[in-house]
Amino acid sequence: MATTATLVKPKRGGRWSPWLFAIPALAVYVGFLVYPALSSLWFSLTNWDGLSATYKFVGLDNYFKLPQDPVVVEAVRNNLIWTVVTIAVPTVIGLLLAIALNGKVHGKPILRLIFYTPAVLPLVSIASIWGWLYNPQYGAINSFLRMIGLDGLAQAWLGQDSTALWAVMVPAIWLRTGFPMLLYLAALQGIPNELYEAATVDGATKWQQFWHVTMPSLRPAHYIVLALSLIDSFKVFDMIYAMTYGGPGTSTQVMGTWMYFNVFQYYQAGYGTAIAVVITLVAIAVGIPYVRSQTREAS
Amino acid sequence: MTLTAQAPVELPLESTPSESPGPKGRRGLVMTLVLAVIALFWISPLALLVITAVRPLADFVGNGPLSWPDQLTWTNFKDAWGIGNFATTYKNSAILALIKVPLGVLVSAMLGFALAKLRMKFRRTVMFTVFLGLTIPIYITIVPVFIMMRSAGATDSIFGLIGPYLAFGIPFEVLVLQSFFRQLPDEIIEAARVDGAGDWRVFFTMILPLSVPALVTVAILDAVATWNEFLFALILLNSDAHKTIPVGLLNFQGQFANNNTGLAAGILIAVVPILIAYTLLQRWIVGGLTAGSLKG
Repeated sequence: MATTATLVKPKRGGRWSPWLFAIPALAVYVGFLVYPALSSLWFSLTNWDGLSATYKFVGLDNYFKLPQDPVVVEAVRNNLIWTVVTIAVPTVIGLLLAIALNGKVHGKPILRLIFYTPAVLPLVSIASIWGWLYNPQYGAINSFLRMIGLDGLAQAWLGQDSTALWAVMVPAIWLRTGFPMLLYLAALQGIPNELYEAATVDGATKWQQFWHVTMPSLRPAHYIVLALSLIDSFKVFDMIYAMTYGGPGTSTQVMGTWMYFNVFQYYQAGYGTAIAVVITLVAIAVGIPYVRSQTREAS
Repeated sequence: MTLTAQAPVELPLESTPSESPGPKGRRGLVMTLVLAVIALFWISPLALLVITAVRPLADFVGNGPLSWPDQLTWTNFKDAWGIGNFATTYKNSAILALIKVPLGVLVSAMLGFALAKLRMKFRRTVMFTVFLGLTIPIYITIVPVFIMMRSAGATDSIFGLIGPYLAFGIPFEVLVLQSFFRQLPDEIIEAARVDGAGDWRVFFTMILPLSVPALVTVAILDAVATWNEFLFALILLNSDAHKTIPVGLLNFQGQFANNNTGLAAGILIAVVPILIAYTLLQRWIVGGLTAGSLKG
């Protein structure tokens, strides 16, 4: 094997050489991501409080406790609502914006720049901006409602159970619309004009063209948008933490924040990591088709 | 802003031939107007932030948040800069990004090269394992990472963040870079090998120079992610002297709860570098995001 290799491509390093290129990144990846993730599996089977030197192995106890924890039930529900809304709404708005921008419109670059801007801001700053807009007394949102005579609608958006989660989702939508828009825009530009010309010759209306030419051509883009948004939505933490701290009460807790509170506030590191393990397994299960498609693509 | 200067080098957005005036031209104008209104609405939180940051607090309280300022002032920025400790958090975030981003891009490019162009054993397994990192939420790792850093004495130091930041950046960077490297023709590499060049020389003198656009895009996206990261910074950094911008901003938000104009100035101070960088470099960001993901 060694001899054939040297015959085909005369070079130093031989079959070890690829690994020399691979090892720095792999070492960091395994050391700071794979290994910690796996050792969380172990901690989730213990009653460790996060501080003591000792702890006991408790088997699956932490996992059995999860369904009995009312906050976990609430967090799962919130995660589901969050996932559905922050995927569906930005995807639809993003697609509509992309279609509009793909038409005969002036100033496309600046429009596109504006719609994508929220996506580059730190989540904490987005939380600050919107927390400030939602301020019951001095916030722009209530001021606007009062200005147009809807005083009755002015309320403490982030301060009451009924509106808090929805109020946090608005900036998430604001932030997440830019990515589908960019992707759809690029995909729309890739659809050959002949398809539309042929459809027009066949007498298809604009509406029929949209459903029979545009939408089918966007299938790869739909797939990427959905896969990446799905993966992303399970990771929600920063926005909730910085905007409502899980409150009022526990009404905006999601699995990510509830895990954090258990570990760093209530000293239940074992239980907290069990929460993290559950949501990570769901995220991996959901993400695997995408990961496989990317791996297959590359081989 | 520099937008218009960049327009010509954009993706082929304006590829459709411009219409002569007529029904279509008018519809384009209506659409432009509709989109302009939506865009104005979309950017209004930031516009409002700017307007609030440059007016005195009394003016804001007296006239309400939606009024035009009577007076302009810079004192909000001065107050926010001092109290928000921004001199320190800026320095920390900048040092972190300057170390982390080049290092991350280099090791990711090396791995991407091995995966794309070298005959590596277990290639698919490695690839699958690394790409799987895209789905892993940060919080599954925070307890063990916290313990690791504590026993290494690296908590409360921005250097303790470098390892975890690198690890969570690698999957995306490798994904984009290996797909770019794959498109480089094998022939040039073979030709260089015939001339006696080893893998390292091929990598540094051919692959990297040919991949500058992809490297720049990945570096920019990685810099944005590094600048914005919150969770690791929150759990690993305690003292004000070591905080990064996002964690510093959160503290600041609490202190300025009743000073709306100061708060607006502080938020602006935190986001202006990102906004400027984004405006100047948007061509790379847009191109990289769409190319990187649509190829899949």
